[in-house]
Amino acid sequence: MKLQTQMPVNRVTDEIWEIPPSAKDGMLVPARIYATEQILTSMDSGVFEQVTNVACLPGIRRYALCMPDGHWGYGFPIGGVAAMDLESGVISPGGIGFDINCGMRLIRTNLVREDVQPKLDQLMTELFRRVPAGVGSRGFVRLNRQEFEEVMRKGARWCIERGYGWHEDLERIEERGCLPGADPSKISDHAVTRGINQLGTLGSGNHYLEVQVASNDRIFDRETAAALGITGHDQIVVMVHCGSRGFGHQVASDYLQVFEKAMRRYGITVKDQQLACAPFRSPEGQDYFAAMNCAANSAFANRQVITHQIREAFSTVLGTSAEELGMEIVYDVAHNIAKVERYKEGELVVHRKGATRAFGPGQPELPERFRKIGQPVICGGSMETGSYLLVGTHQAMEETFGSTMHGSGRTMSRAQAKRSVRGEQLQKDMQKRGIIVKAVSMSGLAEEAGFAYKNISDVVEAVDRAGITKKVAELRPIGNIKG
Amino acid sequence: MTRSFRFLEQVALADSAFEASGDSPTELFLAAGQAVIETMANPTTVSARWERVIERTNPELAALLFDWLSDMVFLKDAEGVVFRDATAVVTEDRPNGGWKLRGTLTGEPIDPGRHELRNDVKAVTKHLYEVRQEDGRWIARVVLDI
Repeated sequence: MKLQTQMPVNRVTDEIWEIPPSAKDGMLVPARIYATEQILTSMDSGVFEQVTNVACLPGIRRYALCMPDGHWGYGFPIGGVAAMDLESGVISPGGIGFDINCGMRLIRTNLVREDVQPKLDQLMTELFRRVPAGVGSRGFVRLNRQEFEEVMRKGARWCIERGYGWHEDLERIEERGCLPGADPSKISDHAVTRGINQLGTLGSGNHYLEVQVASNDRIFDRETAAALGITGHDQIVVMVHCGSRGFGHQVASDYLQVFEKAMRRYGITVKDQQLACAPFRSPEGQDYFAAMNCAANSAFANRQVITHQIREAFSTVLGTSAEELGMEIVYDVAHNIAKVERYKEGELVVHRKGATRAFGPGQPELPERFRKIGQPVICGGSMETGSYLLVGTHQAMEETFGSTMHGSGRTMSRAQAKRSVRGEQLQKDMQKRGIIVKAVSMSGLAEEAGFAYKNISDVVEAVDRAGITKKVAELRPIGNIKG
Repeated sequence: MTRSFRFLEQVALADSAFEASGDSPTELFLAAGQAVIETMANPTTVSARWERVIERTNPELAALLFDWLSDMVFLKDAEGVVFRDATAVVTEDRPNGGWKLRGTLTGEPIDPGRHELRNDVKAVTKHLYEVRQEDGRWIARVVLDI
């Protein structure tokens, strides 16, 4: 087996690989990578280097983890999970990412493909008009600072109070769309100015809004799918991938600077500058956690306003109310976040960066409707392939701090993707294959071509076989909006 | 006086990295600024209806460059603009030690109908970030989070 590392990587099972603490000076725990042998051999060297750097962070418990969609990131690898002791451990913005609470939302409908197909182009145009995307895009919600601070405190609930959603939406969002402990006094003026006009916008890069089809042959667990409102028969669903936009990016940038100074004060050294961190209980750590929660709540609100706009677009084009169309949220998950959760070691601050919470059945944190089946997990693939709905398992609670993968993971640079295909050509090719794409940036579109990513089915198969999440349905795109 | 930049492909798979260089700190700041401008949009499609003067000081040249590029990322969202051009003069801040920047950014409010938009830069990162002097040239390596 040829790996892009010289470190010892030992097989634990066919889907779990371990790098022992002896592999690098300063490692406090082993590093564990969830992957099939094929995926492991395709992982870039950054994954091995970074997951072992994470294993050196003060207060880390049990393992530094990386999921099968893992690739190089800033400090932590994308796909990284690390749980730190609340008293002796640190919190690190590099373990969360610049796009705080970047996440996925899935909305079901009562529609089937033949209801939508004749009006698909019109529908995509209406969605493109209502959900601004691309560089510096601004939303329709106008806020003053006081209102924006309410968004930071209340998250998705603020939107419901303003009529941008249904009351029942909240129980279908991780943490009911509002993390406690958000304190707007910990937010800089810069962050407020940068984000105040961006509620209800997608952004660019790998963010998207997708109209997808759930066909019978791609449902793997019919009972669980039905419990989540996925009935198959070419059912139409809508998936959204975006986060906290410029606001969250600025919060992360601001606190990376704070933490660089704090590390000197607390005598912490790290293997990579992007792993800047502070003790969780320190004033700096608590300030960042409070600010991060503000950004996370704004991301929940962002996806909620987008949901409102999606419902409006469907209702306008199909001439039926969103309620009659059955446009309920299936679930909304964060995949760039740190949260305090309880495990056998006690209360830990669990960092998930490009990794999704995957709580198993019976977890008291889950609302009643998910208590039996486990928490829904939404994993986005490339815009040309498909995405997956899965559920969390008991095994995830035992092994991975209730965590799993988040998407397919890039394998090709943006520049190489652009050299391989032109955006205009890709758009035409996808249309021939029945996928209508509306994009703000043609070069950005080319960068997101399917061949630039791992095959998501391989990645999903790895977590399914490992038992940390179980696949429920694959969802195939027929319409895509890119920034 | 010469300046240049080139995008580095294998440094950040999912993001955008570049190396900028110039004969002087001023030329370096212009080259790096141009790289950020071109990452966000094609500047030839943007006119210069909007202008902002940026004045900053910093004891470290590398930190001053980081601030200059971060200002561009901030203004893109805060003002909702993309950029046409940047001018900059970087001098030693003699009385206080350190460095002084006076820069000007021009551009206009984002119009997806007219502007060839590219990537929405989230942040300037410290990953592999460096500013060095080599054979009389000032060189910076920068990774932008996309």
